[in-house]
Amino acid sequence: MKKHKSDALARLKNWLEYGDDPLEVEMEEALGEEEAPPIPAEEDAPEWEEREDRKALAPKKEKHPLYDKVYRIAAEVISLMLIAVLLYAAVHMPNFGGADTLVNSEVSAFYVENTLEETGAVNIITGIILDYRGFDTLGESHVLFIGICTVLLLMSIKGEKDEEQRIFEDAYDRHFEPRHDEILQTATRILTPLIVVFGIYIIVNGHLSPGGGFSGGAVLGAGLILYQNAFGYLKVERIFTFRTFKWVSACSLLFYSLAKGYHFFTGANHLESGIHPGVAGNIFSAGLLLPLNAVVGLVVACTMYALYTMFRRGDF
Amino acid sequence: MFEYLRFGLFALFLVSGLFIQLTSLIGVNRFRYSINRIHAAGMGDTLGLLLISVAAIIYTGFDGVTLKILFILGFFWLTSPVSGHLLGRLVSETDEHFQAEAEIWKR
Repeated sequence: MKKHKSDALARLKNWLEYGDDPLEVEMEEALGEEEAPPIPAEEDAPEWEEREDRKALAPKKEKHPLYDKVYRIAAEVISLMLIAVLLYAAVHMPNFGGADTLVNSEVSAFYVENTLEETGAVNIITGIILDYRGFDTLGESHVLFIGICTVLLLMSIKGEKDEEQRIFEDAYDRHFEPRHDEILQTATRILTPLIVVFGIYIIVNGHLSPGGGFSGGAVLGAGLILYQNAFGYLKVERIFTFRTFKWVSACSLLFYSLAKGYHFFTGANHLESGIHPGVAGNIFSAGLLLPLNAVVGLVVACTMYALYTMFRRGDF
Repeated sequence: MFEYLRFGLFALFLVSGLFIQLTSLIGVNRFRYSINRIHAAGMGDTLGLLLISVAAIIYTGFDGVTLKILFILGFFWLTSPVSGHLLGRLVSETDEHFQAEAEIWKR
């Protein structure tokens, strides 16, 4: 086995001569002849204490009879009022398919007529969600981030359990997973590049054709999950670790927030970008829409993968 | 004349594809054991999809859409059998009564 060369020129030469992938060699050395871990017997499981202390830690309920009564009555009154208001609104809704409904109002006509001119986006939906209603999309990406933060808080096993128990659970969890499955690996080798390229295509073409950040990011995340399923965590850690997740998510959201903040300070009328809008229909057109799509796609892809790995293992 | 022939071919392929899909649907819901259900599900995703794709190609004629349909077909042919294989492997590894339900060929 060739030794891993750090010299860039030697590595290029190695690559040109179809030599061993140095990272691949490292991986094989690290993995060795890995066998499926045997199922530990139930009796061997280390005894962990039940988390009864949580109940003890919870704040004790203090009794406020008057407050409880008022709270109940107020809650019911407010709910009934809300129901009444909603029913009233529902009764006074315009007829379905009527000519003077909100759907056929001037707002949608305005979008259809002016989106291409004002935002440069051929795909009107992208023009609306990233430009006219960009604030809403900003909130959506932050909701995704808050969701994954909550999952990290709840599911992460880092520093939660003692080492013995963690090894036991890992072995028990991993016994049934498809390891070194030749069929899955071959299919993944063919599919993952296609899926990733397709995801990038959806993101980059977001302002030209149906698609955009959210759908493209979901495709990217699915490709990453497929790769992880076939080749295991060690291989994914070459390209995607917790550090990557942290930095990519934070930087993407920061960029979006800055762009949106700039938009507010310039009057919140229209997403001014200093970038020349270019010819509508080109990839590099429509100003800030392309970077914003890319940013949203990265956030969604990271969130998808993090959700998967958190629920599966509780760790990256 | 040619138009009638084309429509007849299209209808033939579509109906047979739908028949295969219906068979697979009934099989997934009616079979008792998981391995049999995987078998039924895999049939609809491969043969049924092939017939329906051929019908769609005949209907639209040969153009850019044909390539897209073929891509979809290739994607499904790659993924569906692999997922069936993984499911079957999981069943064979986790089910305690696997011997009683299915015949195992030793190689």
